[in-house]
Amino acid sequence: MNTGPTEQNTASGRPDGEAAAATGPEDAAAPPWKARWAAAQPWVTLVCRVALAGILGFAAYTKLPPALSIQSVEAYQLFPAGVAEFIGITLPLLEFALALLLLLGLATRYVAAATGLLMLAFIAGIASAWARGLNIDCGCFGTGGAVAPGETAYGVDIARDIGFVVLAGIVMLWPRSPLSLDRLAGLYR
Amino acid sequence: MGKAARREARERLKQQRLKEQQKAKRNRVLLVVGAAVVVVALVVAVGYFVLMRDRGGGEVELPPQALQTDGSVVLAEDGASAPVLEIYADYQCPACKQFETATGSAIQEMAAKGEVIVHYRPVSIFALRGEPLGSNSLRGGAAARAAADAGKFVEYNDVLFENQPAEGDPGFSPDELKQWGEDVGIDDPAFAERVDAESEVADRFAQDYAPELLEKAQGELGADSINTMPVTDLIAWGDENGVDSSFLDDTYVLEILESTGAVNQRYDGENAFAGTPSVYLNGAKMGNEMYSASSLRSAVAEAEPGEPQSTPAEDAEDGGDGEGAGGDAGASPSTSPSADAKE
Repeated sequence: MNTGPTEQNTASGRPDGEAAAATGPEDAAAPPWKARWAAAQPWVTLVCRVALAGILGFAAYTKLPPALSIQSVEAYQLFPAGVAEFIGITLPLLEFALALLLLLGLATRYVAAATGLLMLAFIAGIASAWARGLNIDCGCFGTGGAVAPGETAYGVDIARDIGFVVLAGIVMLWPRSPLSLDRLAGLYR
Repeated sequence: MGKAARREARERLKQQRLKEQQKAKRNRVLLVVGAAVVVVALVVAVGYFVLMRDRGGGEVELPPQALQTDGSVVLAEDGASAPVLEIYADYQCPACKQFETATGSAIQEMAAKGEVIVHYRPVSIFALRGEPLGSNSLRGGAAARAAADAGKFVEYNDVLFENQPAEGDPGFSPDELKQWGEDVGIDDPAFAERVDAESEVADRFAQDYAPELLEKAQGELGADSINTMPVTDLIAWGDENGVDSSFLDDTYVLEILESTGAVNQRYDGENAFAGTPSVYLNGAKMGNEMYSASSLRSAVAEAEPGEPQSTPAEDAEDGGDGEGAGGDAGASPSTSPSADAKE
């Protein structure tokens, strides 16, 4: 990529100086829990990032081949056939791309925000299926489609997705973490 | 004065530096966000291309298709020595449509090259689900069987899946079914007659017969045993308990139901039939890999040659008139041609 010069320029002290000036005096006055959080936060974010990446990557993998994923989307009865097919094919790809970006730590804050929005969309979809009394598997991981009445798990699915929203929220609010491409670009150091 | 001016200048410089820093940061953010957008676009575009190529497949010159005595159809090159791929599908089942869309043309292409013997075995898992699910399923299945008489089963099979009604919507109307027959080149008037006759039987089954049978069976057998019972056993139970099924005699609707009952007996254990689409490669049930044309191709390539477990209708007739089932059905009134499928 052509980020070479920018990396050099931005990595050469200015952000460091800024950070030191900003956090230095604050740290001294801060209560111990705040200092501890400041030390732990990058690692907490790293764990959340990698966990989200794993979840998204696994979700994408289990949705393939797309014939299964299209079926899951159609089961929601929210979209016309052509749209359902398009979503069924592109959704696993989008999940995979987001997983890749989270793992690389590129545009961490914004990718986490996008992931959170995606999860909120999933929650809305599951809630609408629930409200309409459909009997479907959410198709979140692997095969969706119809299930027998009483074998739905909408509550569990939504609770799990809320957990994922929380993970995404943490990464979005505190994007600073080690092992990220953002650092090479001089962000969130 | 001088001091104040200097302080002001320093302040201004500081402000400017701050602004520059903010600008630099904004540029860095734009850079990483831009790079991330490019990554997403690349992954989705390349992935879409790869996945669509797997699903694609052009029109192929179909190899001969042979109607079997049980109403199923074998599509294979003459004298092909290849693995047997058995496809159990219900024309009203959405997953079957997905299977067909993802792999249908790849399967036909393999059959045309003599790499696989395809055994189409239409069933009706929705038969007892009333209107419109059950009747759609039976009308579609019976019409496909009638198309097999005209030697156009495979073409008609594809058209039915293309036009599958959404789950729970009415569809596969007799007029549509006849029109699609014309579209695939069936000009024998016996096809249209048969479709009309079978559609009436299917509707009667779904509207009157199935609810009566289910209500009676619910009371005496319980819901659990009904759900696990092959549909043909349930029909036989009905005959013994005052729910007359004689209107089904010699119909393709009954043939579809018998095929559905038969597959339950044909496979057990880990190969047991549990819903559609079920695909068996040389009698071994396939998993989700069947939904991908490329993994299906490699599974077929690794399998040994096999033999279809059925008898061609032509052999069973002794007479053996050239085109086989096609001419036979054309000449017969609408009830007789399925009689030979009973034995």
